[in-house]
Amino acid sequence: MSIRKEIDELLRAGLITEETAEKLQRYYQAKKQTSSNRLFTAFGILGAVLVGLGLILIIAHHWDELSRTTKTLLSFFPLLIGQLLCAYTLLKKRNNAVWRESTTVFLFLAIGANMALISQIYHLPEDTAAFLLSWMLLGLPLVYIMNSSMASLLFLGGITYYAMLQGHSSYAKPSPYLYWLLLLSIIPHYRKLCKNRPQSNFTFFHHWAIPLSLTFALSSIAGEQDKLLFIAYFSLFGVFYILGDSFLPPSTKPAANGYKLIGSPGTVMLLLLLSFQWFWKGLENSPPQFFPGSPELLAAIVLSLTAALLLYHQQKDKKLRELKPLTTAFIFFIAVFILGTSFSSLAVLLINLYLLVIGSLTIRNGARQNQLSTLNYGLLIIAALIICRFFDTKWSFVTKGILFVLVGMSFFFANYLMIKKRSAT
Amino acid sequence: MKDAKPYLLAFLALTLIQWYVPLHMIYKKEKVHKTGREYKFRISPVDPIDFFRGKYIALHYQESTVKTSDEQNWTAGEIAYVLLTTDEQGFAKIQSVSKEEPKGQSNFFKAQVAFVSRDGSNTLRLSYPFDRFYMQEFKANEAEQLYWQKLRDTSNTVYALVGIRDGEAVLKDVLIDGVPLEALLINGKGE
Repeated sequence: MSIRKEIDELLRAGLITEETAEKLQRYYQAKKQTSSNRLFTAFGILGAVLVGLGLILIIAHHWDELSRTTKTLLSFFPLLIGQLLCAYTLLKKRNNAVWRESTTVFLFLAIGANMALISQIYHLPEDTAAFLLSWMLLGLPLVYIMNSSMASLLFLGGITYYAMLQGHSSYAKPSPYLYWLLLLSIIPHYRKLCKNRPQSNFTFFHHWAIPLSLTFALSSIAGEQDKLLFIAYFSLFGVFYILGDSFLPPSTKPAANGYKLIGSPGTVMLLLLLSFQWFWKGLENSPPQFFPGSPELLAAIVLSLTAALLLYHQQKDKKLRELKPLTTAFIFFIAVFILGTSFSSLAVLLINLYLLVIGSLTIRNGARQNQLSTLNYGLLIIAALIICRFFDTKWSFVTKGILFVLVGMSFFFANYLMIKKRSAT
Repeated sequence: MKDAKPYLLAFLALTLIQWYVPLHMIYKKEKVHKTGREYKFRISPVDPIDFFRGKYIALHYQESTVKTSDEQNWTAGEIAYVLLTTDEQGFAKIQSVSKEEPKGQSNFFKAQVAFVSRDGSNTLRLSYPFDRFYMQEFKANEAEQLYWQKLRDTSNTVYALVGIRDGEAVLKDVLIDGVPLEALLINGKGE
């Protein structure tokens, strides 16, 4: 093993003591074990998914030769196997993550398969939302009983799809408030993951799955006051950004920080979208009514208060100078939104200026912290802003052309300067 | 592993629920299958542009629009209770639709309002909870072709046999001139 050789060499050279060498060996041994364990878990889950889906497909063939009773009995077969496997895991392999995750995933799929097959046998019509809801409710306890994070991820996917189906149905159905309750039901598991296994892949997946689910599901409450949903989305992305910036375990890898990686581009994309005139013209012509019962207003208020609270917690011991530009976007937007109901042109101007400021501040931060990614992100914001204005301003092609050349050149120079600065240090 | 017991008990309770939910679904449908009154619903030929759906046949019913006196009280998507009767040839006919369960009767089922006229013609179009007929995956396509061929030929009567009882409905079979679609497929495409 190469690491052992290296350690021996360091020991011989007198760079480390005997004790340090032993510690190093133990450290690498443990590291190797966890990584092989992770691999086993991944393959275990993959295997369970494949076998589960295979069984479902075989039964879904809808064997006409078999009687209704036989088909019905067969549809319970995967469920029974899954339950027996999970019971065995609980009895004998409770501390083995590979067993826990793979048997639970199998049972989770089997529950859905069983119900889908019965729907087929009795020629039931399609009602995917109701089907998903029953499936997820029957699967939810598995997250806690089996302590399975994969089940939790499947559950998150299922309830998100449920919320979308309910919310975007062509009929006027009640808003899917149930989704929010279902989402709350998974939070204890998520908190435990963050606390006990901050470095686990499952925790990282949850850091992505939860904000993604919320981003999709929030659109499902859109009704007649859907313009208010823009406030809700700004605040949601604000919540994500602040959470990702200050409230996740510090050891979270940048790529695992789904909150920040959704919150920040989400805010910028919304700002870009609203830097056009169409939205504000519409807002001025038919301003939303702030009547208390509307779900959009409720969402906007709850999310804005949450964002404000988080911002307060984040900033209370810090100087104003340390405030990151994107964290206050939601407050800025609420003000502009109210202003925009009567002065649409002013709102458009403010949004454009704000984007320019955010882009510039991001570039400055990138330069100060010597981070190429931040620097380029800032440049990208400015470039996107200019491209958007390409469509709706009456500037001549020459002006637009010069602007593009300038932005393109600034990309080159900023990156060049930073790389040069880096190699100099 | 001394604390495994509560988890096991919880798991046992969960397995019971996981069995109860589908079994209850089966029980409800079986009851209608066995004791429900059978109605024959005429199937109407609709342009089969999107008929290929894999392993089931989409069924469109002739008797699926109904006149009411109060179109303004209905909205698309809501539940309508459909009370049935039969016409002279013995096919299902809508006697009435209502928002509440008909009292003292059992020959009704729950349908969804798919469309409401807003021009004073007081028409509701209903979507029935038995508009899919599942078949073995390779047969479904073949069956569907046969089904459309028979539907277009007006000398054939194509209908669905549906068990109805107390709001529940179960699709039992699709028949062409009294012969199940499945049997026609086996006997050389019904020629």
